[in-house]
Amino acid sequence: MLKKDLSITFMGVKFPNPFCLSSSPVGNCYDMCAKAYETGWGGVVFKTIGPKHYLIDEVSPRFDALTKEAEPFVGFKNMEQIAEHSLEENLADLRKLKKNYPNNVLIASIMGSNEEDWEELARLVTEAGADMIELNFSCPQMTSHAMGSDVGSNPELCKKYCAAVRRSTHLPFMAKMTPNITDMCDPAIASLEGGADGIAAINTIKSIINVDLNKKVGLPIINGKSSISGYSGKAVKPVALRFIQQMKTNPKLKDAEISGIGGIETWEDAAEFILLGCKNLQVTTAIMQYGYRIVEDMKDGLARYMEKEGVDHLEDLVGLANKNIIPAEELDRDYKVYPVIDTDKCVGCGRCVISCYDGAHQAMEWNKETRRPHCNTTKCVGCLLCGLVCPVGAINAGERVLKEGRKPKNLKKLVLQDSFQKL
Amino acid sequence: MVEDYLKEDKGFSPRDVMEEASRCLLCLDAPCSANCPAGTDPGKFIRSVRFKNVEGAAETVRENNILAGICARVCPTEKYCELACSRTGIDKPINISMIQRYITDYESCTHMSVLKKAKANGKKVAVIGAGPAGLTAAGNLALRGFEVTVYEKESKAGGYLRYGIPEYRLPNKVVDEEVKRIEDLGVKFVFNTKVETSKLLDELKKSNDAVILALGFSKGKMLEMFEDNKKVKLAVDFLKQVKEKKGRVRVPESAVVVGGGDVAMDVSLTLKKLGCANVTDCAYEQFCEFRASKKELEHTREAGVTILDGYIPEKVTKSGQVTFAHRVIKSKVVIKAPLIVLAIGQVSDFSNLGIKLEDLNDPSYRIKNTNVFYAGDIAPGDKTVVYSVKTGKEVTKAVMSYLKMEVK
Ligand SMILES: Cc1cc2nc3c(=O)[nH]c(=O)nc-3n(C[C@H](O)[C@H](O)[C@H](O)COP(=O)(O)OP(=O)(O)OC[C@H]3O[C@@H](n4cnc5c(N)ncnc54)[C@H](O)[C@@H]3O)c2cc1C
Ligand SMILES: Cc1cc2nc3c(=O)[nH]c(=O)nc-3n(C[C@H](O)[C@H](O)[C@H](O)COP(=O)(O)O)c2cc1C
Ligand code: SF4
Ligand code: SF4
Ligand code: SF4
Repeated sequence: MLKKDLSITFMGVKFPNPFCLSSSPVGNCYDMCAKAYETGWGGVVFKTIGPKHYLIDEVSPRFDALTKEAEPFVGFKNMEQIAEHSLEENLADLRKLKKNYPNNVLIASIMGSNEEDWEELARLVTEAGADMIELNFSCPQMTSHAMGSDVGSNPELCKKYCAAVRRSTHLPFMAKMTPNITDMCDPAIASLEGGADGIAAINTIKSIINVDLNKKVGLPIINGKSSISGYSGKAVKPVALRFIQQMKTNPKLKDAEISGIGGIETWEDAAEFILLGCKNLQVTTAIMQYGYRIVEDMKDGLARYMEKEGVDHLEDLVGLANKNIIPAEELDRDYKVYPVIDTDKCVGCGRCVISCYDGAHQAMEWNKETRRPHCNTTKCVGCLLCGLVCPVGAINAGERVLKEGRKPKNLKKLVLQDSFQKL
Repeated sequence: MVEDYLKEDKGFSPRDVMEEASRCLLCLDAPCSANCPAGTDPGKFIRSVRFKNVEGAAETVRENNILAGICARVCPTEKYCELACSRTGIDKPINISMIQRYITDYESCTHMSVLKKAKANGKKVAVIGAGPAGLTAAGNLALRGFEVTVYEKESKAGGYLRYGIPEYRLPNKVVDEEVKRIEDLGVKFVFNTKVETSKLLDELKKSNDAVILALGFSKGKMLEMFEDNKKVKLAVDFLKQVKEKKGRVRVPESAVVVGGGDVAMDVSLTLKKLGCANVTDCAYEQFCEFRASKKELEHTREAGVTILDGYIPEKVTKSGQVTFAHRVIKSKVVIKAPLIVLAIGQVSDFSNLGIKLEDLNDPSYRIKNTNVFYAGDIAPGDKTVVYSVKTGKEVTKAVMSYLKMEVK
């Protein structure tokens, strides 16, 4: 393993590395969090703690997975609410964790149904020794409409509850946002105005993941019925990244500290969140599927990436990609780039031809004798769909041409991606 | 042990088949499909599996090949569809036969019946021989409304499928199921009836619109020096005995097998599975020119059979001592064993019918100026099950055009 300092300061607290369990069953009790720390996670967001009066009563079964071909977990649906353990047990676990793992960061996630709850919970977890707090404004499957994503989609409530928490703790805290909203900036700004020190995004997306065709019920089936509930895992990463980028480019949020969540499985996913402005990262679904050990390769991979990028502080990578995400109307539309086919790599499957015909511009032609494709540039629009479907990565960006009537420019200087497939 | 002989390898699970189907590149003009003698379309049925339409896949497979469950198990795919597979350019071909087996197993478990009995067209055909060629022809004719009767000298249908290919590669249960499908189409079987004289054949010619010979190569080849030697058995006789007795056959401690094709591999591996500790196979061919399929060769070697390549038998004693000489290098091997099995090929056995093998070489599958047709091993082409399916299908069309019927 590459030895590299991965520490980073987030909301004023120094993390040994940016990787945290996100609030969920992966950080449900002392033993789990202890094991996670031992395995190398920098921090833990403990499973959301609710008020004493809110009784948790979970369904069974409570998960389902979206699959594709042989891929068992493209996305994941859960119907869980917040911590099943009693308030006392949870607080005792927090105390014990802080005592035994003083160098790892302990974050308490809380959720109330009114200002008193929020104040009370914030006070209790502060006293129990948490290093910071996360306010869960975003669980989409609460049985109470005064809690969860109904709060996160209401900026006024976000602000009010942040203010309540601010009154009862000196600890830094972040508000965890729901993606079940068109614009996340409003509740995020309101949360900061209410006193939050940062934002966590995203929680799960409201979903119906699959429908049982015989029983005609969504999955999972709970005694013949199902409900809309939260979707997570790899499939939600693009949605999470988009919300984060939008916040980072909002003038009122550009300096906000963000903990990124949603579909992180590998160091590459993690680095993407960092490049879009996150100083902290949280993971659930990938842990549920593969276990805490995935952090080993996340840390090592991220360290090697830093090495290649020539940076010694993770901080230096934060937000580097934000400036390169611009409005669609500002993109360079003067050129097109034709595909180039590496004939040594091509295995002659013809998939590029099928996709170009049925999904693009009928430019990729097929030589029946040699069973090899070639691009007819009089028809090609340079969409490079062909490059995405080729199973061997034989198609790349080739010749660049200026569209008719455009001002000449040095086409050699165009910056294009290295490969059309992420392998 | 007997259990090893009776047990077939596990098939794909739903997850395995999906994993394999996702390896498929879903080619444009799928080369695998172009390379199947029987006209199977793996490019299409693998795509159906990939898009979760196993029933549709079963229809594709079964409509084309009435013996699809058998072919899935015994077809030397490395010489046909898998040889052409584009995926080879990346790593290794798609395991097409295992995907097909998953599909046909699914079809059988869910009791699908893809093929439907047709309305009678008033024409009669007699098929002689119920091996894969005869079965395919009979089934395809029945599907088109013919009244078909199959005459078979054994007490059950299948030919080498039932009496040759060992149980661990092709369980008789599968043969039963596929034969049942053909019966369900209305084909009549007359068992224990050898059509052994030209008089019998003439009667069939008269009472039917057409007669199809699907007699196969039903005799094992003999070498003069081994004739009348009590230690010697012919491979096909040995395999038949083992399969009929469901593996309950006593085998000696050691045995010598002569031959380098799939039949020799079957004999060697069967002997091993039944507990024969020392099996030595001497093959005429050297490994570089071996006839047996790679898969069978591999299984046989893995089981611990000693294979001496390039050796031909020179002499044999009454007590079973055989001397082999190498074809190229100066080397002799002397082995004494209580059992010597000859697996040096099969030959036809129908001279009594007044027909010569040389007469059976017309692309129309018809003996000139007669209403007699032929298919399977006795027709030109590869001597494999899939070729029997191919010629069984083609002879159906030949019969139809001979009877001036529209061929669809
Ligand atoms: C041990 C062994 C293993 C093999 N393994 C494979 C394999 O893995 N894959 C593969 O593709 N091929 C394999 N083959 C070859 C394959 O079995 C043959 O190519 C195929 O069976 C030929 O089919 P057929 O219908 O022409 O003849 P057969 O299968 O020989 O069937 C002919 C039928 O006609 C009957 N019959 C013959 N004469 C008469 C008569 N006068 N009257 C009535 N009935 C008669 C016979 O009893 C028999 O039932 C193997 C062959 C053997 C011997
Ligand atoms: C089973 C399960 C339970 C969850 N429970 C909580 C919770 O109690 N509090 C919370 O803030 N988020 C909860 N979440 C949301 C996750 O913390 C996380 O925001 C989301 O799953 C996206 O990240 P991922 O793709 O890495 O799983 C839960 C997620 C799952 C899958
Ligand atoms: S770039 Fe687009 S239009 Fe051109 S060949 Fe590829 S798929 Fe077709
Ligand atoms: S998709 Fe790729 S491998 Fe297939 S034909 Fe096109 S270039 Fe060749
Ligand atoms: S040739 Fe191979 S990769 Fe192409 S369709 Fe056939 S099985 Fe799939």
